[in-house]
Amino acid sequence: MKFDWYYEPTSVNECVEILKEYGSEAKLLAGGTDLVVRLRSRAQKVKALVSLNAMPELSRIQKTEDGLHIGAMTKLMDITKSEMFTGSWMVVKKSAGNVSSMQVRNVATIGGNTCNASPSADTVPGMIASDAIVRIAGTEGERALPLEQFFTGPGKTALKKDEMVVGFKLPDLGPGNGAAYKKYAIRGDSDIAIVGVAARLKLSQDGIIEDARVVLGAVAPTPIRVPSAEQMLIGQVLTDELAAKAAQAASDFCTPITDARATKEYRKEMVRVWTQYVLKEAHSNAQ
Amino acid sequence: MINPSAGAINIDFHVNGKSYSMQVEPFKTILEVLRDDLGLTGAKKGCDDGNCGACTVIMDGKAVKACSLLIGQARGKKITTIEGLEDENGLHPLQKAFIDRFAIQCGFCTPGMIMTAKAILDANPNATEEDIREGMHGNICRCTGYVKIVEAVEAARDQMNR
Repeated sequence: MKFDWYYEPTSVNECVEILKEYGSEAKLLAGGTDLVVRLRSRAQKVKALVSLNAMPELSRIQKTEDGLHIGAMTKLMDITKSEMFTGSWMVVKKSAGNVSSMQVRNVATIGGNTCNASPSADTVPGMIASDAIVRIAGTEGERALPLEQFFTGPGKTALKKDEMVVGFKLPDLGPGNGAAYKKYAIRGDSDIAIVGVAARLKLSQDGIIEDARVVLGAVAPTPIRVPSAEQMLIGQVLTDELAAKAAQAASDFCTPITDARATKEYRKEMVRVWTQYVLKEAHSNAQ
Repeated sequence: MINPSAGAINIDFHVNGKSYSMQVEPFKTILEVLRDDLGLTGAKKGCDDGNCGACTVIMDGKAVKACSLLIGQARGKKITTIEGLEDENGLHPLQKAFIDRFAIQCGFCTPGMIMTAKAILDANPNATEEDIREGMHGNICRCTGYVKIVEAVEAARDQMNR
């Protein structure tokens, strides 16, 4: 693995100028737990490696009036230990703990897990269920994008050549929200998810579902919401029957592939099983 | 910013209490620098792709897989390897426990296991068996079946808490 140029910019402005110069021949190094491995296997070749490790301002978690702001370089381990992920935001904290092993979480970042754009990324479904917004910086300035629009294919994002993710915002969703993420993998967290399901339910005082998100990972080219499942939940009270119906809708909607970990048939079936668990857990968390 | 480099970069870091200031190619991993440039071959190159944990070292108090980190990521950091565990009083309680409890067969995973265990116990001196097993997910052993390894970590924990 060799690269021709190595940069350690100390500001976002410096960084995006470098990205503009090299375009697709530059790669950003966050924690490196995906990138370094890929570079070494020569699955990827790179002209310029741009380390984000000299920009500590990208590692902050801050609560403001409109929500929780998480810097893109925030380590997954720090998220799992943070007290700031209250209420339904807890799903992001818990799902960060589902990524790989302790050693990886000590180094890996939420920005990296997102921008690596694996369809099975564990931190993503919970964030999409939380209506997360991605903050992007480029040479033309900053822009924001709903996270669910950020992924364009396996390993592909909506970032332009001169852009980088600087952080995420979890908006304040108000009271009555509960969310959950469940990962299904053979060897526990150390394995990549065969299926990942996240859900968020917003309940009224009477237990009626006012809003719902059902998000699937590892069963489509990108993490996906299931609008049909969400629509059938809204306005209803969650019963076992309704959960089963929504889960069937989720199973019908996803388009998994067969690979070394599981067949597409098995994944569809596991989505059906898992979605029921996750809906019930989200419901319980909303109480 | 630190000047862009097309060749070697300068890195200052600490290993086992010693300071190093090195000119090194930025595409080398921390594992390669430890083993090839510093002669610290305790951390092993097992899978070299971030899965087996045989390369685990402690960096700024946290267990990390040295094969998955570029040397630039060591800038200003304090690294401890298995060679840094023994002191003037002899072997570290973890090292002694692994020997006494027969938690070693071929020994290849052992340095990584011990460094991960140390990181767990340093952060949580009262780690339970469950905490230990959870924390050691990132370290694979082909020989022992893990039972003796967990026993050794628990024995070291008890010894260190006395």
